[in-house]
Amino acid sequence: MSTTFNRRLLIVWLILTSMTLAYVWMDHTVDQNGTLRASTVVTVSAIVIALIKVRIIFREFMEVRHAPAWLCRLTDAWVVLIAACLLGSYFVGSAVS
Amino acid sequence: MSLPKMKTTEPLTMSDPPTGSWVSRLVWNFRHHPKRELWFAWWVMVIFYQLYGVLFFFVTRVQPPPSPAWDTPTVVRWFDDHDFGILAGFGVVFLVAGMCAPMNALLAYSMRRMSVSRLFAYSYLIIYSLAAVPGMLVMAIAMIVAALRPHRDPELIHWLYDFAFLSFSGTMGVFMIGSLVWMVAILLDKNRVFPKWFGYLSLCNALTEVVVAPAWIFHRGAFAWNGAIAWWINMVVFVLYTGVFIVLLRKMIQREDFRAGPLPALPDKGEAAHSDSVEAVR
Amino acid sequence: MTNLAGSRPQLEEKPTKFVPGQPDMWMFVLFESLLFTGYFSVYLVSRTQNEELYLRSQAALDLRIGVFNTIALLLSSWAIARCVKASREGAYRPALINASLTILFGVVFLVSKVLEWVKEIHMGNTFTSNEFFQHYFFLTSIHCIHVLIGFIVLGVVVYQLWSPVRRSQQLVETCATYWHTVDFLWVLIFALLYVVR
Repeated sequence: MSTTFNRRLLIVWLILTSMTLAYVWMDHTVDQNGTLRASTVVTVSAIVIALIKVRIIFREFMEVRHAPAWLCRLTDAWVVLIAACLLGSYFVGSAVS
Repeated sequence: MSLPKMKTTEPLTMSDPPTGSWVSRLVWNFRHHPKRELWFAWWVMVIFYQLYGVLFFFVTRVQPPPSPAWDTPTVVRWFDDHDFGILAGFGVVFLVAGMCAPMNALLAYSMRRMSVSRLFAYSYLIIYSLAAVPGMLVMAIAMIVAALRPHRDPELIHWLYDFAFLSFSGTMGVFMIGSLVWMVAILLDKNRVFPKWFGYLSLCNALTEVVVAPAWIFHRGAFAWNGAIAWWINMVVFVLYTGVFIVLLRKMIQREDFRAGPLPALPDKGEAAHSDSVEAVR
Repeated sequence: MTNLAGSRPQLEEKPTKFVPGQPDMWMFVLFESLLFTGYFSVYLVSRTQNEELYLRSQAALDLRIGVFNTIALLLSSWAIARCVKASREGAYRPALINASLTILFGVVFLVSKVLEWVKEIHMGNTFTSNEFFQHYFFLTSIHCIHVLIGFIVLGVVVYQLWSPVRRSQQLVETCATYWHTVDFLWVLIFALLYVVR
């Protein structure tokens, strides 16, 4: 088995896991003694980090890196579209309430 | 001129329709076109869905659905505003409900054409025939009964309102199983009647139908019978799905060769004009 | 296949650009992620209308369980990615082991999810408790349905890899694509239900 591929996959997994653990730190800085506090910064960061993870999963695990240009662009466009929908919903909802 | 019988395994040959006026071509196709029943069923399906949309959304205006959270006076007022539309619209629904039959038959036919067991086609037919009763007719009946006598006890009218909408939304499970039957048939099929992506789209559609199930619990919110998730998103996916399968069924009929093996690809435009007199029918 | 210059025949080289698995599955992936985005948007909008309620209810969730779930699914995605690469190189034994690991991590995810639901229900938080828990149970349940379908899909992978007469690389890649979708959908769900404030 080619070890370069496997090493790359392992590094990707480590990056994804550490981004997941970063969430714990993020929430810890905002919450106070178990009481959760609203925070736009945390919300936006959580969504952005999640989408970065999604893109990494697309490119590395789902092998879009080796795919034709149209698939690369399509999946990137999708990540941007999801970001727009999620962040848009959050900000529009916040403005309306 | 005599046409070869359709039951043989000889390749399908057809004498050309007369190259006269469109009337004479239409009559010829009506009497001789081997795919006339399939095209008839397809057109019935298209017309039925147009009618369904117009009747449910614009005439009766029961879609998008009103809220389950309304109190009785509001519900009675809603019926007063909609009474003529409901009576007229659902009256027409009763007349045309039978159009579902050729439509479901065409879908079952698509499964018969596949390499999978005939059980799929039969299951689908049974499921969808039964599903139309609570899924469409019961709602029509309940709504017409409620609208027929505006001075009926308001509590009874409210009862009929709940009965109608819960029947319409709550029985989605039956349609979902039907979608799954079709999906499994498509994914297992070796005759390439439908592309695999349509099988996966059927899965998406079935999943949005699962989501309607909580409608019996909630009076308000995203999962009520008029909710953002239980109705709006579900309806968008359903309309897209229906549009897609209408187009794919048309392609299937064009490709149909009445044999048992893989369905051939669509012929080129040049050959199609010569050998397929669909143009005259359409 | 020799080229005209008479040099050595090219062995079966993977073309440098290829679509992993059936393109049909990619259509499903993109459509399904749009559908879930719709559900997420509804959740986010209703969250902004009732922030206090959502924050209070969210406190009943344990972030660590969410992190554990995410890591389990990331491990499963890693395993199936290794499986695809192994199978591409013809190393079917390691590929089968990786496919089994994928199923194992998937089961770990499922079991911990069910345990979490039981815990929440014991605490008195059910599907009908309040809006937040409506969305929580809905999103996690519909995701679990995808996980269950994923087990069938992984079963197809194992079936393919088992016998030399099958082993369709395209089918293995198609199934892996589905499983990665299950993973990235969870990444989004976790961020929105557990982390967002």
